[in-house]
Amino acid sequence: MRRRQAKTGEGDLLAGTLDMLILRTLQAGPAHGLAIAQVIERRSDDVLFVEQGSLYPALHRLEARGWISPFWGLSEANRRARFYKLTAAGKRQLTAETSRWRELARAVGRVLKPAHH
Amino acid sequence: MSWIQRRWRLRRDRDRDRAGEIEEHINLLADELVGLGRSQEDARREARLKFGNPRVKLEEVHDMNRLPILDTLTRDLSYAVRVLRRSPAFTLTAILTLGLAIGANSAVFSLADTILIRPLPYPEPDKLAQIVLHVRSPRGEDTDDAVDGLIWENLRDHTTCIDAAVYTEGSSGANVIRDNAAAYVQQQRVGAGFFRVLGISPAMGREFSLEEDRPGGQAVTVVSHDLWQRMFQGDPDIVGKQILLKGSSYQVIGVMPKGFRSTSPVDLWTPLRATHDGEGSGTNFQVIARLKPGVTWTGAQVALLGLPADAFRLLQLDKDHNAALSLRPLQEALAADVHDPIVMLIAAVGAVLLIACVNLAALLLARGGSRAKEMATRMALGSGRIAVVRQLMVESLVLAIAGGALGLLAGALGLDGLKLLGSDTFQEWTNVTLDGRIIAGTAALSLLTSVVFGLVPAWQASRLDVNAALVEGGTRSIAGGSRHWPRRALVVAEVALGVVLLVTAGLLMRTFVNLRRLDPGFDPSHIVTASVSLHDARYTTSAAVTHLFDGTIERLEREPGIESAAVSLGLPYQRLLNMGFRFTDEPDTAENQRIANVSYVTSDFFKTLRVPIRDGRELTSGDGPKSAPVVVVNETLARISSKSRNPVGRRLRFGGVEREIVGIAGNIQQHGSGFFLEGMTRGPISTTPTIYLPAAQTGDGFLGVHVWFSPVWSVRARSAAEGEAAIRRAVAAVDPLLPVVDVRSMESVMASSMQQQRLLLTLVAVLAGAALLLAAIGIHGLIAHSVAERSREIGIRLALGASATATVRDVALSGVWLSMLGGAIGVGLSVLAVRLVQSSLWGVGEHDPATYVGVAGFLLLVSAIASVVPALKIARLDPAKTLRQ
Repeated sequence: MRRRQAKTGEGDLLAGTLDMLILRTLQAGPAHGLAIAQVIERRSDDVLFVEQGSLYPALHRLEARGWISPFWGLSEANRRARFYKLTAAGKRQLTAETSRWRELARAVGRVLKPAHH
Repeated sequence: MSWIQRRWRLRRDRDRDRAGEIEEHINLLADELVGLGRSQEDARREARLKFGNPRVKLEEVHDMNRLPILDTLTRDLSYAVRVLRRSPAFTLTAILTLGLAIGANSAVFSLADTILIRPLPYPEPDKLAQIVLHVRSPRGEDTDDAVDGLIWENLRDHTTCIDAAVYTEGSSGANVIRDNAAAYVQQQRVGAGFFRVLGISPAMGREFSLEEDRPGGQAVTVVSHDLWQRMFQGDPDIVGKQILLKGSSYQVIGVMPKGFRSTSPVDLWTPLRATHDGEGSGTNFQVIARLKPGVTWTGAQVALLGLPADAFRLLQLDKDHNAALSLRPLQEALAADVHDPIVMLIAAVGAVLLIACVNLAALLLARGGSRAKEMATRMALGSGRIAVVRQLMVESLVLAIAGGALGLLAGALGLDGLKLLGSDTFQEWTNVTLDGRIIAGTAALSLLTSVVFGLVPAWQASRLDVNAALVEGGTRSIAGGSRHWPRRALVVAEVALGVVLLVTAGLLMRTFVNLRRLDPGFDPSHIVTASVSLHDARYTTSAAVTHLFDGTIERLEREPGIESAAVSLGLPYQRLLNMGFRFTDEPDTAENQRIANVSYVTSDFFKTLRVPIRDGRELTSGDGPKSAPVVVVNETLARISSKSRNPVGRRLRFGGVEREIVGIAGNIQQHGSGFFLEGMTRGPISTTPTIYLPAAQTGDGFLGVHVWFSPVWSVRARSAAEGEAAIRRAVAAVDPLLPVVDVRSMESVMASSMQQQRLLLTLVAVLAGAALLLAAIGIHGLIAHSVAERSREIGIRLALGASATATVRDVALSGVWLSMLGGAIGVGLSVLAVRLVQSSLWGVGEHDPATYVGVAGFLLLVSAIASVVPALKIARLDPAKTLRQ
């Protein structure tokens, strides 16, 4: 049931976008799950609200594809946490995704622009 | 396998990491919130809320990893096992039923396959034949697989399309001595070319040549692999060595390969030297033949018909008789003896299998019905129909696998049991093993049974009107008699089959009891018997034989624990020698040629066995080689031969000597000798007319019988051990190189003469018991289920004032009526089925009313119990409770 939903319509777009956002966040340096979620929220000025749990299927997916790699470390509060860092393949994927996203945004923008002639 | 293990372990570790990671995430969040001023508890709660449902997320991750089918099946499997464990009665019954049926099936079919169906262990067995002699007369036709020497010579010389070899059917015991060690072995006499026709040549050396197979030829022998190992320690130079066989020196010229089987268990072979004199003047030989390449069965048959009529001269047939030869496939010929019992066994096991399947079907049907509510609930909660069906199929498969495994075990044990029971009677059974094809077949059978019978309730359940099932619940089955008819029909069928088996067992039982109750004619208690082979060069004169007998008896009777001892040519309940004789006061015509059993005995024979002497006197030590030849006859002979006069004093002539009848002894039961005269009872055991002559008065020529018969010592001793020891000591004292064999008590001898009947009876009785048990379970299940289903209705009735006893009686009666119907059908079937058993019955007619009545009564009793026990639950019903359900 749940899996089926993730594949249709809105959910799909969101999943792909989330992946890209995570990769972008990690470009700045390794982080653990909570940090990633907070960064996304903050940098989007709280427009993008990520249910923090939803991060994990995305992280699992990215890990399975070899774009990020996990390791255990200590967080700021000296708690044990799982950190992720971008891999070389992940960097390449991020570049590709970012340019694709920009293209998409430009295309949508062109369509939405009021027709002038 | 390790790949899966590794994957599984990796997944487990990852899952653990993931769970830990999520836990830490929530902790971090909580810490932050605490930093913002919340309390520990509030912080944790809020953190959890903010995170979302961790379990759901974990499952999402999990889902991304799975192989969906494997997980579904694993889930179904564990559920199936749980459900089956919750109803142990059903599960156990189903598995036991399957196991029993498959086990019995496998065991008996393996047996039947080896003996009846599998080809002989010789090359191109479909070209091997047995020659059969047909004698046609106005009365009918007699067939026998024995021919005489003249027929054999004609066969050998006049037919070119078959390669034939002559031999003697059975093996006889013989003494073999080598390097002062003696052993008693089985010897078979075969003609040159015997092994060539079978298609297997000796592993070492060669077989007999035509010169060796002629009278006066060299004394040679071919030994079996086992004897070569046992007696010659696998000596690689065995070919050419000499051994002492029956007191004469023989040269070993060949060794047969390991695993070679002749027509019976044999240790060594010697040349038969068939002529048309002596032994060859009677039908004492058998002939096997192999069709030459390119020859068809019909072609060979036609060639056999072309034999000159002179070939049958020695048969001395009357004018209106004629004789002919035919070919019969060897496999068929060898299996002829055991054909009927095996067919009967297959039929019986088939019946039990049918009953078991019927029971299983009923069980599964009932279960499907009672789980309707569960299925409806599951479907209401969103499970698709396919999932429900799949779940039920998995359950059936689990049952099938468990039942199949148990069946394999039961089959192996059952086959061992059958071999144990039957190997004495049927030599061929010792080599039977559980066949791989049969195992595969029964595995398929068990899977098919379960799947097919599991499918019906699965479809039934999944087609339910969900709403109706949930609402109506237990009230759906008001007076549900008509809806249950498939199950009732099944129960009736079961009972009918069970009755057939019971009737068969009953008839066999009565046969056996009749045989046992025959008056033996002597006192068999405390008698030990032992035998030796006198087919030996050292015992060719009457003097030597008498010396042995007298010497041993004298020593035996001196022993304190021995009351008396005697030697005779054969024992009671065994086959004796047939001989023709005539009374000297009757003219020497063909009509006055009579036939009787002949046996020689030492003087204490009648005293040792405690056989009464009705008239005249018994034989004494005074009747020796120098005194007048005398005999004692038994009552049957006296009655048949001399209707009016007292036979004592009459003279008769056989074996070329005239002898006087000096006494009449009481009848002793002997094994049937193949001839029946007026006044004799027909059967496997009967009191044949018998002539007893003193052992001291047998001429040297008479000793030729030692080719086929071995003399037996009978000793009346205080205990069996003492008797055996005394016999061995006595014989060893007179002739140390004479092996003593076959030491048994007289009761054992009697039992073995009825071995075949007892074996069949045991097998059929066990199967009949199993069938009846299964049928009772079927009835019990039906009634119990009916009561459970109708508990609401019955509760209402009881509440409205019906008496509990009457209700119990009504419900129980329905079961009894069913089984009576089944019984009636079964009796009808039995009338047809007992024809299979006819040949094994004796002393009881196949439509014996007593047996049928007895079976009907027994059935009534069992079905009454099986019906009443579940019905008694009604008495314990609390109407108030059931109404509330």
